Amino acid sequence: MKLVLTSALLLLLLNGAAPATPPDQSNGIFPYTYHQQVLDNGLKVIVIPMESRGIVAYYSVVRTGSRDEYEPGHSGFAHFFEHMMFRGTKKYPGSVYDQLITEMGADANAYTSDDLTCYHLNFASEDLEKVMELESDRFQNLYYEEQAFKTEAGAVHGEYLKSLSSPWFLLSEKLMDTAFDVHTYKHTTIGFRQDIEAMPTMYEYSQSFFHRYYRPENVVLLIVGDVEPSKTIELVKKYYGDWKPGYVPPQIPVEPEQQGERTASVTYSGQTLPILCVAYKSLAFDPQSKTMAACVLLGNLAFGETSDIYKKLVLTEQRVQNIAADFNSARDPQLLTIWTMIKREDDIDNVKNEIYQTIEHFKQHLVSEQKLADLKSRLKYSFLMGLETPDDVAGQLARYIALTGGIEAVDQLYATYDQVTPADILDAANKLLVQQKRTVVVLKGGQK
Amino acid sequence: MNRSLSLLAIAITCCLILFGCRSSLKDNIVQLKVPSDPTISFAIWFKVGSQNDPTGKEGLANLTAAMLTEASTQQNSYDQILEKLYPMAASYGASVDKEMTVINGRIHRDNLDRYFELFTQAILSPAFKPEDFERLKSNTVNYLEKTLRYANDEALGKEVLYQAIFKGTPYGHPEAGLIESVRSITLEDVKNFYQTYFTRDNVVIGLAGGFDDKLVRRLKRALSKLPPGAPVPIAKPSPLPIEGRQVILVEKDTRSSAISIGFPIDVVRGEDDFYALWLANSWFGEHRNSSSHLYQVIREARGMNYGDYSYIECFPNGWARQFPAPNAGRRQQIFEIWIRPVQTDAAHFALRAALRELQKLIDHGMTQQDFDLTKKFLKKYYLHYAPTTSLRLGYKLDDQFYGIEDHLKKFPEMLDRLTLDDVNAAIKRHLQYQNMKIVIVTNNAPALQQALISDAPSPMKYATPKPKEVLEEDREIERYPLTIKPENVAIVKVADLFMR
Repeated sequence: MKLVLTSALLLLLLNGAAPATPPDQSNGIFPYTYHQQVLDNGLKVIVIPMESRGIVAYYSVVRTGSRDEYEPGHSGFAHFFEHMMFRGTKKYPGSVYDQLITEMGADANAYTSDDLTCYHLNFASEDLEKVMELESDRFQNLYYEEQAFKTEAGAVHGEYLKSLSSPWFLLSEKLMDTAFDVHTYKHTTIGFRQDIEAMPTMYEYSQSFFHRYYRPENVVLLIVGDVEPSKTIELVKKYYGDWKPGYVPPQIPVEPEQQGERTASVTYSGQTLPILCVAYKSLAFDPQSKTMAACVLLGNLAFGETSDIYKKLVLTEQRVQNIAADFNSARDPQLLTIWTMIKREDDIDNVKNEIYQTIEHFKQHLVSEQKLADLKSRLKYSFLMGLETPDDVAGQLARYIALTGGIEAVDQLYATYDQVTPADILDAANKLLVQQKRTVVVLKGGQK
Repeated sequence: MNRSLSLLAIAITCCLILFGCRSSLKDNIVQLKVPSDPTISFAIWFKVGSQNDPTGKEGLANLTAAMLTEASTQQNSYDQILEKLYPMAASYGASVDKEMTVINGRIHRDNLDRYFELFTQAILSPAFKPEDFERLKSNTVNYLEKTLRYANDEALGKEVLYQAIFKGTPYGHPEAGLIESVRSITLEDVKNFYQTYFTRDNVVIGLAGGFDDKLVRRLKRALSKLPPGAPVPIAKPSPLPIEGRQVILVEKDTRSSAISIGFPIDVVRGEDDFYALWLANSWFGEHRNSSSHLYQVIREARGMNYGDYSYIECFPNGWARQFPAPNAGRRQQIFEIWIRPVQTDAAHFALRAALRELQKLIDHGMTQQDFDLTKKFLKKYYLHYAPTTSLRLGYKLDDQFYGIEDHLKKFPEMLDRLTLDDVNAAIKRHLQYQNMKIVIVTNNAPALQQALISDAPSPMKYATPKPKEVLEEDREIERYPLTIKPENVAIVKVADLFMR
């Protein structure tokens, strides 16, 4: 990754001159030069110029997600609050904000997950300053009446309703609720139903949420595309420089170490093939942790499309429709998950045993050097081929920003992958894939 | 053109020159050269789709394409293919729509040679192994029987709407097929379908990205090994006229009601009226955008659901995409309104609100202010339709389908030419509010059936207070006459759908 630390001297050199060659380049995987600066108020801005046919991606990454909802009765609030951010300010009320965004032909939206809330726009580069004015205004001066707040709660309830018909939604709700006792990962991002229904009563709480979390120290601005770095950073200073710091970190309870296997089952009201999910507690994200990196590789090797169990159960015996694993980490220790959709209910236990045998195999046998090399190659090409547009680049980086506060983690993580050996993978399997840290959830259809 | 837009146009032109983009059309090859792109995109379009499924074998086109892209070749078993693609982080796949089947692939140029072999073998020498066939057939039946019926009420409502409008025509079934039909498909059916439709006389080759002429020659040479034969073209579907507002209530155990509304329209991409109607539709219901008027009325002012949109071109997988995917070209389109799930007791009111807005649009047309704003919006918003090389290639293939030079170039030019009168005239010519199909997925079908037939007021009950002007408008919405005849409201059980 190529990093330019924008100093006052460099800014002087850049003013009116051709862009300087970055003074500090390393051989990381990230192919674009980036420029970053932290303002006095703690706001970090990262600018990545790239050829993009005149398009800019503008991401405001708030390092707050459903993980931060530690107060009882407030699950789902980070996501709800994401909706409120479109209700505008006194200067630019929601309808005016919408009109201005419409005039720009911008593609504007937002999303929330466990560890972040992300506001993103794609627009023509000539509109950069106007977008910056609007975005900096709503992040500093959000204003809405109680009535608008209550109406938006209806839209959030509608979003919850549309998700309900999916068996996967039901399964993930049950899984998180079963695997966690006190940590906020216990609830999904949309939140518990009773909390969603109570949202219209939480107007005052919403103000407090904004004042505690929507602060410059907790936000990273990521601007990618046809932009000039030094001018862009100057604009950021102009529009965000007066934003007052005051972030109050959430009091997230630490999940005690799991002491025994947990199981749960859930019935889906429609028809579905049964779904089995086997999960283990993971490590917190740390791009320099060999164990964590080995764990990601292990998930791919043991349960990916070229794994023995995939060949056996999906392709040869055709007892399951699919099997896959997600062994990526979150900001705090979360879950490594293996899921499979099984063709016959009476085969669930057998398939579960196949998964356990696979895990035992990886605890006892070293993976081949060739397979590991193939996987490292795959991860590299997969990352590089996913960086085609400014929105692709910003979208990929947003999660790393949420987890670590910056994008240095990308190069670090891929460097760590390179160092992982077959012995590291065996070690990770033995450390993490243990029965006492396991949660198993089965979902079955209610109608036959 | 104002100054800022001129600058944008200049910027794009400069970029095109800088990137050396060049598109040419020779024989049956569509090329889009982007030398700065480190990847190469392939799109091999066969002029076949679910409209070519024989009666009783619905789903055959889809299953045949899957037997090319998700199964063994004569050179490699499917697990060997996965092993070989794995280190390249590569894959290939098929998109099958009513009229188009496109085999797509994309590869980093470092890996081009290895990938080329696998990609062309998939098209030229599928193995048609029984074990692959059974796996893919079983997955398809599961999709139709379980996922499509139960897992997503919105997808279900849209599919039932298309089936209702195109009943009795080659568009009248899901691309995946019908349950009994898919079960009846044999491996022999697949082989025959492949021989008939996947021919060198029925293919258009698409290539885009950082490739050279050598690759063009190589690909042409490879695909010339396809069997010969030009299939007999199928006539454009003629949906039956719809008289009145015809409702299908899909009875299902669900906590909300998803609504889809539609009727056929006689306008397709490339025609002048298409661009006029596109502008009107963008104002009325731009997909997943708060600029949508329907969204403003139903979601923003009333908080009734998550979103409300409308379409003049099909938009497959709309719940998962912000912009439409290319390669779903169709000669017959519908106008469609999509009301995302509302609480069941609000379904009647939501339907009235949407149709009342449609009537207002048709009766009064757009205002100059809304026209100007929407034009301004679209002149930049269209830049997001195809940001990647592979998407631009997809649009180029669609240009061939619709017989137009360059839709993405024509789009802003047509916007410049459009007047408010053009748009309002196109609305009058193509849209109406009397004759349509309405599909509601709900757990309360008998009660809703009675309510719709009675046409009695359906007052909206809000959990939270609303402004006076909203409540005043509600008095009109709740009494908006739907005039639905009793014989025009049918109830179907979800378990009976997509059988045969």
